[in-house]
Amino acid sequence: MSEQRPHDMGGEPGGPIDTVDHGMKFWEKQANALRNTLSRRKIVRLDELRRAAEDLGSRYYELEYFERTTEALRTVLIERGYFTEAELRSKMAEVRRRYESA
Amino acid sequence: MSLPSAYTEAPVRRFDVGDRVAVKAWYPPGHRRTPHYIRGKRGVIERVCGAFANPEELAYGLDGEPKRVLYRVRFRQRDLWPDYSGPERDALELEIYEHWLEPA
Amino acid sequence: MKQHHDHSHDRSFDDGPPSEYEIMSRAIQELLVERGVITAEQVRMRMEQFDADFPYRGPRVIAHAWADPGFKARLLADGKRACAEFGIDLEAERLIAVENTPQVHNVIVCTLCSCYPRALLGMPPTWYKSENYRRRVVREPRAVLAEFGTLLPEHVALRVHDSNADMRYVVVPLRPAGTEGWSEEQLARIITRDSLVGVTLPKA
Repeated sequence: MSEQRPHDMGGEPGGPIDTVDHGMKFWEKQANALRNTLSRRKIVRLDELRRAAEDLGSRYYELEYFERTTEALRTVLIERGYFTEAELRSKMAEVRRRYESA
Repeated sequence: MSLPSAYTEAPVRRFDVGDRVAVKAWYPPGHRRTPHYIRGKRGVIERVCGAFANPEELAYGLDGEPKRVLYRVRFRQRDLWPDYSGPERDALELEIYEHWLEPA
Repeated sequence: MKQHHDHSHDRSFDDGPPSEYEIMSRAIQELLVERGVITAEQVRMRMEQFDADFPYRGPRVIAHAWADPGFKARLLADGKRACAEFGIDLEAERLIAVENTPQVHNVIVCTLCSCYPRALLGMPPTWYKSENYRRRVVREPRAVLAEFGTLLPEHVALRVHDSNADMRYVVVPLRPAGTEGWSEEQLARIITRDSLVGVTLPKA
């Protein structure tokens, strides 16, 4: 029997639910819109994004929802050749510098 | 102009509404849309949703063709959970692909 | 307990230094825009739709179903088709509407991820995406509904819908007593997002 993937959690024991909707931060709304724009245009498939999130293993529980979706998006876009890991790291450094100097 | 439908055609299929089915107790690795909690359980076909590209293959960049028939299946909660304390008529419904189903 | 779709928790800017993932998401977008894969305007317009358009569609559709029994029957037969008839394009989403009656109450979840009828309701609430909701509502739905303040009598059957594949779900709540003669606008105002997922009941 193969290992149960982390996302497959229906029926597992759980604690109290925080019934308040905490909404989304601005960057999360933008991340959501980005992901949605890409999947509508079939640049990535939702099924690939889900699979990449499930492949996170134990990290699945360490990351928040939009952190997982961003990690999955990165994985699939690199798989599909839209950019390399190195190009992304370089762009991230540039974005970080811009935030720090603002 | 015809309006879009939630459903697609599935003229060639194994099951119909009302059929008793069992979800395979099968544990292949990789991306599956059949939750662990429903595997090996028995229910009744509630609706035929249509035929769709197989998400288990789409997840890996394949085209998921030929399409697979998708059904909504209804289960009694008391058949799913040994400790279920709600009423007998409480139910759970979800979508199961034909290749995960056997006649019960 | 939230009664209305409330944007007060949404932030139009974020305080403090950006997280690693905010930077990553921003960087991904910039690389794709630079390479002509998408435009920033496309992303911005989509953000706008999620904020200003999608969340308001669900209550209007259900209010119309309450007011017009023929439309309700068509909505229950084919949710996507009925929404299209009403002028709402659900894009790729395949909507199934499930009806609450005096004998049956419905509640929606996606245990595997967070599938939700976004083009009808907007973004799912944080509790819908939470691990404890996804774990527990399939197994102890009555206890979960009680956490939202909803207590169902034993003679009402509770149906949980796990949207685990290609279809998306919306609940058509029971129209409360005391709303006779109301306009669709008045009805839409009491149809909360949470009642369309099935964890609460609309109140007149």
